[in-house]
Amino acid sequence: MRLRRFNEAGIKAFREELALLRANPERDPDPQLLEHRELTEVVTPEVQIVAEYFKTKAEVARYLTAILGKLPTSSVEQDAGLWTWLSLLFFDSVCNRTQGKWSVKNDYYYIFAPRNNRHFYRHLLFISWHMLRLAPKSNRLFLSSPLATLPKVISEVAMRLYITRIPAVFEVLDRLYWDESRNRHRVGITETRVHAGDLTHRFPLRIRQLEKTYDLMSLDADQLIQLLGDEFAFGRPRTAKLFEDAI
Amino acid sequence: MIKRVNSTGRKRIPRERIMIEVFDGDPRTFEATIDLSDFEAPKNAHVVLEATCAGSNTIPRFDWGTVGDLQPAANRQLTGLSGRNVFFSLKIIDRTERAGRILGLAEVIRPIKGGEKTATGRRGILPVESTDLGHEPWRLDFRSEDVYLLVNEKIPDLKDRVRADALVYSLIYPPVIRQILARAMDEPVDEDDGNDDWATLWLKFGCTLHSEKSKAPINGTEEDREEWISDVVDAFCRDHDLAGKLLRHAQSNVREEAV
Repeated sequence: MRLRRFNEAGIKAFREELALLRANPERDPDPQLLEHRELTEVVTPEVQIVAEYFKTKAEVARYLTAILGKLPTSSVEQDAGLWTWLSLLFFDSVCNRTQGKWSVKNDYYYIFAPRNNRHFYRHLLFISWHMLRLAPKSNRLFLSSPLATLPKVISEVAMRLYITRIPAVFEVLDRLYWDESRNRHRVGITETRVHAGDLTHRFPLRIRQLEKTYDLMSLDADQLIQLLGDEFAFGRPRTAKLFEDAI
Repeated sequence: MIKRVNSTGRKRIPRERIMIEVFDGDPRTFEATIDLSDFEAPKNAHVVLEATCAGSNTIPRFDWGTVGDLQPAANRQLTGLSGRNVFFSLKIIDRTERAGRILGLAEVIRPIKGGEKTATGRRGILPVESTDLGHEPWRLDFRSEDVYLLVNEKIPDLKDRVRADALVYSLIYPPVIRQILARAMDEPVDEDDGNDDWATLWLKFGCTLHSEKSKAPINGTEEDREEWISDVVDAFCRDHDLAGKLLRHAQSNVREEAV
């Protein structure tokens, strides 16, 4: 199939389709919308795409990065019709189905709103592609979760431009918040209550303080973790203490 | 809760030293004239310009050579910035003695000239920007460099009406001021006396309105803070007769309906 995008009427039709699915979760989304002449247009340069199933954000992010690589990034990241069309194409992947019933969430998980700064990072396909682009490495905090969910660890970071724009931040976050032993993010880092060294409250606040004094864009991960202070010392490389660890 | 930040000797660069002109296009481009002739910094300190605007999800960055050898960036496209209110920051960065330390800073630099797509001139305390807000009529956008009032682009003329229509601004501004002042008290504020970041400007604005001209109780209790904010909001509403304007608007509507 050729990659397409919805026009405005197509986005409206898909929004109505989502409402119908919520009202009647046992029906399937209308596949004819995908190639509807009046609701879609072919993206140029033409790209072939296949309706596959993706379990995790990492899988779809790698696929979309390859597929969309021919298109200018600056237009892809603003293309509401394209990302919304992709949601319908990969609907099996972005929407959970249990006992034959779709569990359709808020529209913004499927309909991309690039200029809405509270919604753009909640689009499940866009955010997967976007996070891989921002963090080609050290991205497991953001890309290892099931595609159909948006864990708080993603939204807490993606909503803050002053964090995502720092090149070394993803390695820092990985070192601070990934729990190697459990192969998932550390417990408690996105709780409502403030904890020393947490991701939701303390990390953003500390970055806001540091950006007044340091050009965070030019720091590497070691330097940034050092500047974050003792509260975040758990992210520093461990060196064996003489004698103690050697015994 | 953090309040004050020690900026380790960073100097403020007067905005007048940076003249920026933005040109319409897709994307827009800009030219900048920077005068650092008497700025005391190592000649090899790096100079960087950053651009931002409300509602954007990117902050383009432009390397501008060094203090001793200013070199405009080859690519001066403002890709990803669509709002009218574009602001620039200039940073002078020491990348030798200490890792990436900011030696000099000028923030919230507004273009002196621009095309039809760009706002120019003096900075207001609350820039207003039309953007996609879904179903929400208005929202505040707190960013590092400034706070913006975003209005829903689907509502015709709302951007003008928040300034001119008594019905609209009477309803919007009291909660706007309340939210901004509450947020400003939690912002990291530089200890520099000449500081004019948005949080400082708003807290000074609040102080001038307060019935006893009291400074914001940044380190006070939650009750102290709420009381101070309520006093400021009440003074603002009184000075602008917001309740009276709203009442007259409602009465004129009733009369029109009766006719």
